[in-house]
Amino acid sequence: MSTVSWITARGLFGRRRFLLLLPLPVLLVALAVLSRALGVPPTDWGPPVLVGLGLAVVLPVVALIVGTGVLGAEIDDGTVVHVLTTPLPRWQIVLPKLAVAAGVTAATVVVPLFAAGLLADSVRLGLALAGAAAAGALAYSALFLAASLLTRRPVLLGLVYVLIWEGLLGNVITGTRVLSIQHYVIAVADRLAPTNLLETTVSVPLAVTMTVLVSVGFTLLAVDRLRSFSVAGETS
Amino acid sequence: MPEPTGVIHDIGYQRYTGPRLGRRPVFGALYLHGVRTAFGLGRSAKAKIFPWLVVGIVLMVAVAATAMRAQFGQVVMTYAQFADAMSWLVIFFVAVVAPELVSRDLRSGVLPLYFSRPLPRSDYPVAKLLALVTALWLLLGAPQLLMFLGAAFTLDGLGAVWDELLDLLPGLLYAGMWAVIFASVGLLIASLTGKRAFAAGGIVAVFLMTTPIVGTLSILPSQTANQLAGVASPPTLVQGVGIWTMRDLLITDPDGVAPDLGPYGPVYGLVAVALVAACVALLLARYRKVAAR
Repeated sequence: MSTVSWITARGLFGRRRFLLLLPLPVLLVALAVLSRALGVPPTDWGPPVLVGLGLAVVLPVVALIVGTGVLGAEIDDGTVVHVLTTPLPRWQIVLPKLAVAAGVTAATVVVPLFAAGLLADSVRLGLALAGAAAAGALAYSALFLAASLLTRRPVLLGLVYVLIWEGLLGNVITGTRVLSIQHYVIAVADRLAPTNLLETTVSVPLAVTMTVLVSVGFTLLAVDRLRSFSVAGETS
Repeated sequence: MPEPTGVIHDIGYQRYTGPRLGRRPVFGALYLHGVRTAFGLGRSAKAKIFPWLVVGIVLMVAVAATAMRAQFGQVVMTYAQFADAMSWLVIFFVAVVAPELVSRDLRSGVLPLYFSRPLPRSDYPVAKLLALVTALWLLLGAPQLLMFLGAAFTLDGLGAVWDELLDLLPGLLYAGMWAVIFASVGLLIASLTGKRAFAAGGIVAVFLMTTPIVGTLSILPSQTANQLAGVASPPTLVQGVGIWTMRDLLITDPDGVAPDLGPYGPVYGLVAVALVAACVALLLARYRKVAAR
């Protein structure tokens, strides 16, 4: 484990506010258990809990908070200078941070999704959701990590993507789903475990290709941006 | 020993002799500054991007609805339904503006400067809250006014315009309910942290994670749970109060799927009032603690 990833992990877990991330996954499992215990058919509670809460809210919001936190927080308070002045190649800064962000996001999201998928249908659905969500966590983390290098307000830019692009436009204009990580995750999970709970219009090959492209592309972009990064003071 | 050569020059320092403004002007200045901050007025172009993005989308929807009505005579949405349709944008707007209003002051530690003025502790959060309520109400009200103007110039006769106005006024009132509930919840969350990024994430998380609770509660095999499901989430809570008080304006399609409140309409009203009261009380308590530091 390199020093950069160690520092990043400590920066994430060292503060109490990381506990704020816990209610989301706990709620996901609680709703699944409640619905299952009261005998609601999975076709009724599956879509709102698995997709509506799990893939549309928990995964992107956790990825957003963690993904912008690993580098954005350091840029915000100026301590990124200490890392940048070391003779490390930029990719050795970006990759460990991306690994930590994707790992933490995946760990937070995969466990409750597996439990909810298990309660909804089968172990297979649980594993499919967990695997697809882990891939989605990597793509989202790469996107938000790059966003924190492109703008001084990465969380708001990320929210525009999650709320307006994926949330609003994705439901109104189905064509925009081609550029929506949420629908890549749904498509991959549905392919791994075909059920009638998950539905999307995106094809599986496209989803896989785009997930890889997004992950690699935004990582390269982040490395490139960090190469010519200028530290500026706080502006309005 | 040489003579001392230092001289004290009179460079014109004077005491302030003008009128000293009291509590109310301080409150007014905070409020006005808050409303201007919400829309990034008097700030750099960067601060205007996100608020005006939301304003632009909302106005665009209103223009589209007006155009549809003028061209095809088809009412896409009533004034009250407009707020419901824009709920995600309202959440985003709160996430942009609320941290801007309170988190910056917490982070830069300027609160002692505010409280060294003739300003009671409770005035600061109340002024900020009113500013956020006003900004949200303007965000939802301005497009409705635009839709009304569009309709007024296409309708024939003053009677029809008067009827239209009677539709608009409850719509504006409903927008006010949205504004009060979203502002009090959002500002409370934002006041907990000095980091704008975390405040924005927290606001969105709280608003979004409550929506699926409603979805789950409304399919449980218990009618009481179904009818009370809406109170679990702010958007559906406001909608419930709206359906209870002005049913015809919110539900225009008799066959459409509408939340069924059963006999629990007043419960929605009570919960809404209790929620706002609790948030304001917690906000005041929070600022008593912050100001004591």
